[in-house]
Amino acid sequence: MHNEEQLKASLKENGDLKAALDEHAIVAITDPRGRITYVNDKFCAISKYSREELIGQDHRIINSGHHPKQFIRELWETIGRGRVWHGEIKNQAKDGSFYWVDTTIVPFLDENGSPRQYVAIRADITTRKAAEETVRHLNADLEQRVKERTAQFEAANRELEAFSYSVSHDLRAPLRAIDGYSQAVLEDFAALLPEEGRRHLETIRQSAQRMGELIDDLLAFARLGRQELARRPIDMADLVRRALADLEFATRDRPVEIQVGALPECSGDFVLLKQVWLNLLSNALKYTRKRAAAKVEVGCLTNQHEQVYFVRDNGTGFDMRYVGKLFGVFQRLHRAEDYEGTGVGLAIVQRIVHRHGGRVWAEAAVDRGATFYFTVNGNPNP
Amino acid sequence: MSDPTSVELLLVEDNPQDLELTLRALRKANLAARVHVARDGVEAAEFLFCEGPHATRQFSRPPKVVLLDLKLPKLDGLEVIKRVKGDPRTKFIPIVVLTSSREQRDVVESYQLGVNSYIVKPVNSDHFSAAVRELGTYWLLLNQPPKTNA
Repeated sequence: MHNEEQLKASLKENGDLKAALDEHAIVAITDPRGRITYVNDKFCAISKYSREELIGQDHRIINSGHHPKQFIRELWETIGRGRVWHGEIKNQAKDGSFYWVDTTIVPFLDENGSPRQYVAIRADITTRKAAEETVRHLNADLEQRVKERTAQFEAANRELEAFSYSVSHDLRAPLRAIDGYSQAVLEDFAALLPEEGRRHLETIRQSAQRMGELIDDLLAFARLGRQELARRPIDMADLVRRALADLEFATRDRPVEIQVGALPECSGDFVLLKQVWLNLLSNALKYTRKRAAAKVEVGCLTNQHEQVYFVRDNGTGFDMRYVGKLFGVFQRLHRAEDYEGTGVGLAIVQRIVHRHGGRVWAEAAVDRGATFYFTVNGNPNP
Repeated sequence: MSDPTSVELLLVEDNPQDLELTLRALRKANLAARVHVARDGVEAAEFLFCEGPHATRQFSRPPKVVLLDLKLPKLDGLEVIKRVKGDPRTKFIPIVVLTSSREQRDVVESYQLGVNSYIVKPVNSDHFSAAVRELGTYWLLLNQPPKTNA
C-alpha cells in the first residue's frame, strides 16, 4: 500500500518533468538503428512533419546534407559506445527549410551494455546561427572593403610618388638651362650689354635658383608624409647640441647669447626631431639677425600631463593676427627682402610634430620676439 | 669630338641644354679634349661594349670615367650601370651618376649596382660648373685606374 503510493508519486513526478521538458525542448527517441519511436509536439512543429509521418521512419528523414560524413560517423561512434553526444546540427524540415538545433543525445543501454534506445533533446538555435552567419558575412565584407581601400590608397600613393619623382627630375632641368644660359650670356657677352641688361640677367638667375629651392623644399615636405616614423628614446639635450653645431655658421660672425635649459628625454624619430630643432633654431637665429644683443633660449616646461619644449628669441617677432598662416606651406609673414626663406620650414615642423602625436604653437609680438612651443608625446598620428 | 680610341671621358646626356652646359664647363676647365658624347643608353652601351659603330674600339682602352644621366631614352641609366658593372670586361670603368634626381631609391639603387659616385646636378650654374670641373679633374687627372690586361 505504502509502495503503491510511492510509485504513484514517482509516476506523477515523472509526468511533471516530461510536461516541463516538452514545454521547453524538442525531444525524439530512436531505436538502436536510428528508427524514430517517439517525437514530442515541438519536434513535429519544427520539422513540419506530423507524428504519423515520423514514427517508424529512419531519423535521416530530417538530414540536411550540411554536415560532412566524418561528423555523422563520429556522432554514431560516440553514442554507439554508450557515451553522450553534444553538438550543433543543421536539419531540414518537410517544406525544405533548414533549422539549427543544439543537440544532446543520451544513449540508454540494455543489460548487455548495448544501446537500447537513444533520447535526443534539442533546442532551436536557428536565429543565433543566422546572426552568426550575418556577422561572418559582415566581417568578410568589411575585410573586402578594407582590401579595396588599401589598394586605392596604394595606387594614389604610387601616383604621388611618380608625380614627385617627375617634379624632382623634370622641373629642375629647364631651371638649370635658364640659369646656365643666363650665366653664359653674362660671361660671353658682358661687354655688349648695358648695365641694366646685366642686372636683368642676374634677376633671371636668382629667380631660377629660387624656384630650385622651392622645388627642393616642397619635395622634402612631401617626402615627410611617406617616411616611416622610427621611434626610440631621444636625448633632447644632445639633439639640441647637434642642431646648434650644424648651425654654427649662422652665429660665427655675430654675437648670439644662446641659453639651453634642462631638456628631458622623449620618445620619437631622431632624424625628424633633429629637423624640428634645426628649423626652429635657424628661424630664431634668422629673425634675431638685426638685434645688437641677440638672445635665444631653449627649454622645456613640464606639467603633469606633458613636456612642452620651446625655443624663444628676442628677434623681430610677428603679428599674432597672422598666426593662423604661420604653419602653412609657402606661407611667409616677412618680406623676402628682409628675411630670406621659402616658407616651408614651419610647415615641416608642424608635420613632424603631428606625426609624433604632438602639438605645436607660437606666441609673438611685433618687434618683441617669438616663442615656439611643441610637444611630441601622445599617440602617434601617421 | 676626338678620336674615339683615345676617349677619356664618356658623357651620356640626352638633354641638349644640359649637354651644352656640361661641355662648356669641361671646356672652361680645359678637360674637353677627349670627350665622347652618347645621347641615350643604347649609344652608351655600344660605346662601352665596343659594338655597332664602335666595333673597332678595344676593351683594353676604356674611358677614365663615364658621366651618366639616369633618365635616358631607349636604355635608362640604371640599366647601363647594371650591364657595365655586371660584365668582367667593363666593371672597372668608373661611373659617376650625374642626374637631376635626388630620390633616395635612385641613389640607393645606383650604389647597389656599383656606381663610383652620385652627383645631383645643381640648379645654380656656378655650382654646376664647379661640380663638373672638380669631377673631371678628379677622375681624369687624380684617380689611378687599374692596368688593363684585356
